[in-house]
Amino acid sequence: MKSKYSRSLTVLFWAALAGAPLFLGGWNLGLLSQLMIYGIFAMSLAFIWGQGGLLCFGQSLFFGIGAYAMALTTKGMIPGVPAITLAGLVLAMILPALVAGLLGLALFKGRGLYGAYFGIVTLSAAVIAERLAINWSYIGGFNGILDVPPLRLEWGSWQIELYDPLLFFLVVLVAAFAAFLVLLKLERSAFGTVLRGIRDNETRAAFLGFETAEYKTVAFAVSGAVAGLAGALFAVQFAFVSPAILGFALATEVLIWVAIGGKTVLLAAFIGALAVKSVENVLSDTLGQYWLLVLGLLFVAAVVVLPRGLLAPFLNLSLPPALRRSEPLKKSTTT
Amino acid sequence: MEMTLLIGLDAASYILTLLLVCIGLVIIFGMMNVINLAHGEFFLLGAYTVVLLQQYALPFAVILVTAFVFVALIGLIIEELVIRRIYHRFLDTILATWGISLALKQLVIILFGPGSQPTVAPFAEPIAMFGITYSSYRLFIMGMAIVITATTFLILFRTRWGLTARGVIANRQMASCLGVNTRRVDRVTFAFGSGLAGLAGAIMAPLMSVDPQMGVGFLVPAFLSILVGGIASPLGAIWGASIIGGSNSVVAAIWTPVIAQIVVFSLAIVVIRLMPDGLAGRKKR
Repeated sequence: MKSKYSRSLTVLFWAALAGAPLFLGGWNLGLLSQLMIYGIFAMSLAFIWGQGGLLCFGQSLFFGIGAYAMALTTKGMIPGVPAITLAGLVLAMILPALVAGLLGLALFKGRGLYGAYFGIVTLSAAVIAERLAINWSYIGGFNGILDVPPLRLEWGSWQIELYDPLLFFLVVLVAAFAAFLVLLKLERSAFGTVLRGIRDNETRAAFLGFETAEYKTVAFAVSGAVAGLAGALFAVQFAFVSPAILGFALATEVLIWVAIGGKTVLLAAFIGALAVKSVENVLSDTLGQYWLLVLGLLFVAAVVVLPRGLLAPFLNLSLPPALRRSEPLKKSTTT
Repeated sequence: MEMTLLIGLDAASYILTLLLVCIGLVIIFGMMNVINLAHGEFFLLGAYTVVLLQQYALPFAVILVTAFVFVALIGLIIEELVIRRIYHRFLDTILATWGISLALKQLVIILFGPGSQPTVAPFAEPIAMFGITYSSYRLFIMGMAIVITATTFLILFRTRWGLTARGVIANRQMASCLGVNTRRVDRVTFAFGSGLAGLAGAIMAPLMSVDPQMGVGFLVPAFLSILVGGIASPLGAIWGASIIGGSNSVVAAIWTPVIAQIVVFSLAIVVIRLMPDGLAGRKKR
């Protein structure tokens, strides 16, 4: 099911985001950057959960690793790595991707884990990581890392620090759009088709000759890298990293955003994060403690009544023509 | 010698406490294939029942029974409103119960505040034995855990209702064809499992700091326990709780509680990976 207007809505939405600096001042622009960072994080989960069918309860693990990698690098605390923004960003994507890849290999190879088992194991992994970070004094222990420097662009002797909310907003916008395009491209490729095949029926995909464990592992690593990117930007914006972002609470929040927005559509998950977070900003003052109660019940309602999410039906892009037929599948099974 | 005995008793105490939490979880999981992430909050509700009822100076036994019945009723309502609609969507049950757990926890915060609440143990004199002294209430908890587990097994394996329930676990469609009202079995099972969580919370309340976060601490160890033990049989809960609880206490005694959690959780993940059916589970799912 797809809406006639989904393509125009998608383009319109990104155009509106790009035009936001024309209407928003510094403070609100900073807020929007923060929301978009959560949005990137939500897309990473939507990719692995909506396309791969892997319910990851510990996505915050990768977000947190990315944030820590960025903070440690830019503060020059990783020996042998230059304390520059670019190195931080690269490391913040490679490290979580590696962790996700290794975790994926360990969990999916052979008679792998699936469904609820995967969820509980990833949740436990996030809890373990949080405990580790609390007890590791080099990376700040319970207090985390303070004074993470802002982004710095360097070209030889020329360099500029992105203190300005507008510049930071543009960086986040580019990152979000790039993450969206890369994930969308993957989703709309033969790889994505196989991934959805595995999601719908793993046994059948395996019988068709696909190494399902490898597909899932690669998808998991990609998702980890995107989550790490979000974490790195988060660390820069708040200038602060703490063990809490590795654990339970954030992992839950992102699940709620994605479930409410819609897990099968990237942009729906992105907007889900933006919407829930901004409603929270507005309502948590007036509703106070009742906000979380409402959110919990809304989440239950979304899961029970609208398993596809609130926004996914309006933003679902149709597949490229080549993938609507089944040629790619047939071709790769015969070779 | 006394040190070993003390560690042994602590380990036994933690194992049996964990078992108390797990037994309801494994019944719901094994029988209905529902992962109940709200289990920690059912535990919490049981503990708050104690907080509330102790203000009226009721006898402790009455409070325990009330906690069981009250939380069982909550479970019944939740089953009717939510779980019933998503039995066939396995992953969604995790999400829905997760949402319920958030809402219940927040409800408790709204009603009682985020701080911890006082509870009084009905008796607390330390008991001296074998040259060491140990809290009598801890011994009471251990006794209760054994009694409750034994009762649950008696119900499951020695009563007609237990037979029906096990029939539904083994083959839901066949049971339904033979005239078993599987809907009713589900309802009763979920209520019973929830009630057990409430009872566990009520029993544990005097020992723990009763605050809205108390259920979360048990959630991960309890789930790892039932996965390590295997969900195909309620016996798995005993295996799992023994291994997770036992190793956790021993490692905690040697190093620190935090290292214990890191080590034990990681090992549990490895065990679950290598033996997805659990230690007790021979059955292929």
